[in-house]
This record gives sequence, structure tokens and C-alpha cells, in this order.
Amino acid sequence: MLGPVDWIITLLSVLFEASVVVCSLHRKSFRRHFFLNLYMLTSVLVSAGQFRVLVHYGRSSLEYRYFYFYSEALLIIVLYFALTGLYLKVFEEMRVERYVRLGAVLLLAGTACFTYAVVSQSSHRMLTYFVFELSQNLYFVGLVLTYALWGAILKLKETRALVVQFVLSLGVYFSAFAASYAMSNLRPDLYSYVYRLFPIIGCLLPLAWAYAIWRVPEDARLAPARLAVVPR
Amino acid sequence: MSRKLTVVLFAMLVLAGAMGLKTAVSASGKPTVVTATGLPAPTPW
Repeated sequence: MLGPVDWIITLLSVLFEASVVVCSLHRKSFRRHFFLNLYMLTSVLVSAGQFRVLVHYGRSSLEYRYFYFYSEALLIIVLYFALTGLYLKVFEEMRVERYVRLGAVLLLAGTACFTYAVVSQSSHRMLTYFVFELSQNLYFVGLVLTYALWGAILKLKETRALVVQFVLSLGVYFSAFAASYAMSNLRPDLYSYVYRLFPIIGCLLPLAWAYAIWRVPEDARLAPARLAVVPR
Repeated sequence: MSRKLTVVLFAMLVLAGAMGLKTAVSASGKPTVVTATGLPAPTPW
């Protein structure tokens, strides 16, 4: 069962996620950051659902296992759309929305096809294992996409402070997950310690977004020189 | 190169990069559960 530290971290996580939506509503920017808010709302609902199923059926039950991995897959897909929303914000002046959407759909379909191809070779439990592998693969796709977006921000000299804060916090989030994943695989004996980091990392993203929405004005700009050092 | 081809190429590059990175760090072959929520993750199937 959950210990007191797990309870506190889970509650803090839900609280921070809800605070992102509350801050957006308070600043009247809910629609402007629609996909980020949708991800936070979905995350709150998923946490509540998982908690209910966990308490009702127990951790080792089949119901909890199914609900957990299917809801996680849904959550990472919504986060993928939130990342696509950030791409749309960065490239909005170039009027390439159609191509960004096309790329996002192609990449999601490509990841699903790749996952299917891998899982169909190695597992007889197609539907269940597919969902688990798809969500894990999407974490890595999200990581690469975030770094590519950061490259685009530097290249285009994007100065909107809020967009920069969103992308940087997402980059830290995905990087921390990838580092934890690598550490757990390369040193399986450390998994019991690294496993504790996942919920803490999950807390930091909504905290960073809530802080950005609450403290950074919509029209705040960063000097381009602070984003990249250009040789003279 | 047309914009559509550029988009397809970018999507393929991102997918190849992400799966290459995942393969590189999955040395042990034992599935590790990476999750966003704070509740305990069950063992995968």
C-alpha cells in the first residue's frame, strides 16, 4: 500500500495540476493554453480514477492494471497534443499550422505502427502490451520533439517568455524521465530508488507551468541574447 | 523539396531518433515502467 510520503506526493501532484487550470482561468488564458490545460485536467481525472480503482480493487488486481496502463496511454497522448500546441505557438507567424498538424498525426501514427510491429513479434497479449509500449515510446518521441522545438526557438529567436518557460520545463520533465529510465535499465539494482523519483518529477511540471502562468505576463519578452550566445 | 516531404522526413527522423535512444538505454531488456502519475505502477503484463 501507499506510504505517507507517497500520499503527500500524489496529493501535491494533483494540487499543482489543478492549480495550473485555476491560474489559467484566473488570468483568462484558458483557451489560449487550451491543450496544456486539457492535459492538466486529464491528469487530475486520471489520478482520481486510478485512486478509486486502487482502493476498490487493490494494486495487484487485473482491473487496476488495465485501468492504470490505459489511462497512462491516454495521458501521454494528451501531453503529445499539448506539445503539438506549443509547436503551433512557435510557428504561428510562419502560417504552417496545416503542416505541423500533418506532422503530428504522421508521427503519432508512425509510433503506433512501430510499436505494433515490435509487440506483434514478441508478445501474444497484443492489445494490452501494445498500450503499455506505446506510452513508453511516446515519452521518447516527446523528448526528441521537445529538443527539436528548443532548437527551433533558438533559431527563430523566439522571445515570448511564457512559451520559452513552457518548453524548457517540458524539456526538463522529459529529460528527467529519460534519465530515470536509462538509470533503471542500466542499473536494475537501483530501480527501487529511481522508481521513487517518477512522482516527484511528475510534480515539477505542473508546478513550473502554474508558476509561469501565474507570474509571467502574456506579453513578457526575453532578450534574444539571453537565449543563445552568438559569436561576433 | 516540398513542405509535405519535409514534414514526412522530419517525422521519420524524430521517430528514428526516439526509438534509437530508447534502444540505447534499454540495455537490460527488462521492461521498466515510466509513468507520470504518483500512484504505484503495477507490473506490466
